[in-house]
Amino acid sequence: MKKLTVLIGLFVVLSLGSGLYAQTTPDESLFREAKLLVYDKSWAAALIKLDDLREKFPNSSYAGQSLFYKGECLSGLGGRERDALRAYKDYIRLADAKPSLVEESEGSIIDLAFGLYENGDVPAIGDIERRLGHDNKVVRYYAAYKLSLVRDKKLAAKAAPVLMRIVETEKDPELLDRARIALLRVSPESLKSVEDRKPAPGSPRMLKIRVWNKGQKEPAFSLNIPWALADLALGAMDEDDRAELRKKGYDLNKIVNELAKSKESILKIVGDDGSVIEIWIE
Amino acid sequence: MAEHLEKCPDCRAEADEMRRALEKTEAVKAEIRQAVASVNWEALPATVADRAFAASRKPERALPAARPWGGLSALRMKPALAGLAAGLVVGAATMYFALKAPGLRPGQDTGYYASGEFLDRAELTMARRNTLDYLEKSQYVLLDVFESAGEGAAGPAAFNSEQARDLLSRKKYLNAQLERFQMAKAKAVCDQIEMLFLELAQISDELPAAELGRIRYFVEERQLLLKINLVKKELQSEI
Repeated sequence: MKKLTVLIGLFVVLSLGSGLYAQTTPDESLFREAKLLVYDKSWAAALIKLDDLREKFPNSSYAGQSLFYKGECLSGLGGRERDALRAYKDYIRLADAKPSLVEESEGSIIDLAFGLYENGDVPAIGDIERRLGHDNKVVRYYAAYKLSLVRDKKLAAKAAPVLMRIVETEKDPELLDRARIALLRVSPESLKSVEDRKPAPGSPRMLKIRVWNKGQKEPAFSLNIPWALADLALGAMDEDDRAELRKKGYDLNKIVNELAKSKESILKIVGDDGSVIEIWIE
Repeated sequence: MAEHLEKCPDCRAEADEMRRALEKTEAVKAEIRQAVASVNWEALPATVADRAFAASRKPERALPAARPWGGLSALRMKPALAGLAAGLVVGAATMYFALKAPGLRPGQDTGYYASGEFLDRAELTMARRNTLDYLEKSQYVLLDVFESAGEGAAGPAAFNSEQARDLLSRKKYLNAQLERFQMAKAKAVCDQIEMLFLELAQISDELPAAELGRIRYFVEERQLLLKINLVKKELQSEI
């Protein structure tokens, strides 16, 4: 019985294998095996297969692509970021590099450079800065987004022109929101100038929120953000403040809609603990 | 004294002179009483001040050419006036800076600002929404691929590799957020989908049936669609 089970199992594996790997060359098989290991994040095993492929079949059409996946493995392994960076850079220099993989490699270079910079390798940030002027806007935008996250505010502010361009020209709401938040981090005044330039007849421009704790003259929480981020801002409000509003029977979405209609009217909510929340639109 | 004044002409003349002087004093007293009665004591300070200012302005008007510092000489001459003016300047400056300070009065501050903590929370909210959106779109793309594989069809009509490239570019942004906000489960599923899209994005012309079958097998074997649904449910409950 045991033997029969093993035989059936073997038959299933072979039929699957023959179906999936029909008419495949040894280099292709090796490449697919490596990729399956990459899917499973078995980085070390995948790396061995990829090196094997390049060694045994240096002229294979898969040898070039294997550089990209080598970058993925080295990046996933941890501690070998510089090697990974080199693998990706080698791949994008190839004449037959595929555009989608080049775009991915550029993104990975930006991520790796960011990580190296955060860990003290200051010159690594140059790889991101140089990509702010990249021909491919996907790469350019991602470089600006990542640069906006660095702790050095002066350095992060270099991303502002590209981020402003995104806010000015892009239509994708996800990309727009990211660019707006990134600009709020690095250069709120740049965001203000871009938003003010956009024609918005009759529609609100800014959402303002203040929260005062009892007996305090200065607000404990202040927020002035573009109206376009209002929905996100209310979603991100402190849970205690949201609970206070809920307790009083206020629906945040309704509040914003009502305020948008009335324009510049102020909603003032006084909490049981004496705290005051004010929300208004300009 | 009356007997003596009758006998002494000198003393009589002196006494006459004194009497006349006293009579005149009485007359002056009456005038003073009359003048005092006519004074409006409540309005007097304002009248005095008006006259004082009028007196100080007159010489300036008489100057042949206006000097910007002309008023200062007047202040130098009148310490009380200078003090009053200085008080006005200090008060005005205080009001200006108090009103200029941001974030304190509704409607007075026009710039954007948000704390780093708030922006982090906003990014977390955005990460949840965008991951949910990414998973939903990925599901549609994968189901498209499966339908194509089921029909035995292959080609550009069956699958648009542009969609895969678009999702790949979105995933880059998600990576940073998923790691930062420790959304491990969502990241694991998104990573697996990413590898599939990497494959699909490379196919520009035709997607051979064998490739479609291979991808379908992979998705089914890893129960990727089930995992996508589970993570979606989790994210929906958090939003």
